[in-house]
Amino acid sequence: MTLGEDLSKAFYIARKDMRVYYFKAPNFTYGLLMPVALYLAFSVSGTLSPATLISGLVSLVILFGSMSIEAVSVVLEKQTGTFERLLAAPISLLGLVLGKALAGFAIGPLTAIVVLIPVSLFSGTSVLNPIAVFVAICVSSFTFASLGIFVSCFARWTPEAQMYSNFFRFPMAFLSGTFIPVESMPQFLQLFSKVLPLTYSIDALREGLNNSFVTGSFLFDLGILTLFSAGFMLASAKVLERQLS
Amino acid sequence: MTIATPAIIATDLHKKYGTLNALERVSFTVDNGSIFGLLGPNGAGKTTTIKILTGLTKSSSGSAIILGHDIIRDTIQAKKRIGVVPESSNIYEEMTAEQNLIFAAELYAVSGQKRRKRAWELLETFGLAERGRDLVAGFSRGMKRRLTIACGIIHEPDVLFLDEPTTGLDVQSALVLREQVRKLNKEGTTVLLTTHYLEEADQLCDTVAMINKGKIVALDSPEKLKASVIGSNIVDVIFSEPVDEEELCRSCGMIEAHRLGDKLRLTVGSDVDVVGELTDYARARGLRISTINTLKPSLEDAFLRITGLNPEEAGRDKEPARMRRQDG
Repeated sequence: MTLGEDLSKAFYIARKDMRVYYFKAPNFTYGLLMPVALYLAFSVSGTLSPATLISGLVSLVILFGSMSIEAVSVVLEKQTGTFERLLAAPISLLGLVLGKALAGFAIGPLTAIVVLIPVSLFSGTSVLNPIAVFVAICVSSFTFASLGIFVSCFARWTPEAQMYSNFFRFPMAFLSGTFIPVESMPQFLQLFSKVLPLTYSIDALREGLNNSFVTGSFLFDLGILTLFSAGFMLASAKVLERQLS
Repeated sequence: MTIATPAIIATDLHKKYGTLNALERVSFTVDNGSIFGLLGPNGAGKTTTIKILTGLTKSSSGSAIILGHDIIRDTIQAKKRIGVVPESSNIYEEMTAEQNLIFAAELYAVSGQKRRKRAWELLETFGLAERGRDLVAGFSRGMKRRLTIACGIIHEPDVLFLDEPTTGLDVQSALVLREQVRKLNKEGTTVLLTTHYLEEADQLCDTVAMINKGKIVALDSPEKLKASVIGSNIVDVIFSEPVDEEELCRSCGMIEAHRLGDKLRLTVGSDVDVVGELTDYARARGLRISTINTLKPSLEDAFLRITGLNPEEAGRDKEPARMRRQDG
């Protein structure tokens, strides 16, 4: 099996997932409504700067959107038996996981941009480096899609997958500097925030919103997110391999 | 002279689920171009065997070689050459029949030009062409089953695994499917199928392995397995009143008796004058014999004799229409 063959099959799996799972209700309820509701709840206090709120909101939309589609797609496939069809196909487990992650990765930028443009216009916030922001959105989407696959690999039905997803999503939503700056949190929570991928996603977006040039911090954030993605993908493939035994 | 490599070599396959031994030392070889049947009641280990051979689960020990490729060490190469049709339909209901087939072709790297052509050929073959652009969600169970099978063969596999292919299908669909299996085999595809329809195995298979409680209990051609029960006679009899099977066996020197609806199926040694014995038995008890019918041994008889199961344990009660036998 060549890498090219594996990649092309991963692409076909992603395209199929987009066709099948994009319009499922959880993608809308969890992917858009939940983060927007959280945003509105916290923005009324008026204590956070627009750039902080926008980076937090966009990161949340990506987190919820990309993770939700993965939780739905993998678990539904397990329930309907179609996942077995993918497992029987001549594609490596890592290729299969990549295909699944690509579908979640693709929905992230769509929802993020749908939210980013009106919110920026409404709040009068200018995006100083749109390319950096777009890159940060894409890398974050892939990380959260990989996390979604990782958690859903353990689940047997949809509510269980959503429970596992929330176990990761909600602590991240509140401890990664989304609505409360990390610097203002107690020391141990600041340390904890360092192991949460959302922290790096928010930071990278903020760098792109605030700086017209690419900073070292921005590149560091992308590097950490990429490491998280690789870790989640390898762990997901390992979980699937163990399940085959 | 060249010796053809067997399509499948299963050696000492063992599978444990917790403390349960789902498979124990299962070994068999499937010749290239043949149809091989795995026969057994529900829970015997048929599906587990298929899952191991197709790389969907790993055996606890033993090895499986598919067309020269070890399914554990050389998984992708082995999977490229096999088609898998599972027991339950596994197609995407949110996609059309055509999209399902094309996606299956893409997973097996069927070339771009050939995908659509092959998809429509199969839709025609399985009588689904008129619904090819409809979402699968609106299909009947039989249509979904046919589409699942079409997805399993779109890449023209060298070895096809069919797990209970006709379970739940109407008679017409089952006939179409069996015809397709024969056609594929004629074109060179090796087929391994599991079934608990003994008649189906009898009609299709060159070789049959009977599996019960995770162990292979017999492995031979259907004809040889049937011949193994020759030496005894099978007789169906209906008395005017119900009789006690055990007492009948004792009185008439019969090997065994099973009640099948209103009749008794008797297995009798070939040296027994069965008609005389039954007539004497009926007369002594003031009974009338309504019907008496001698039968040729079937694969079902061989299966019951070899496994020691009664017809209910073997799943006969579930599909009586499919378990017909030839009257002699």
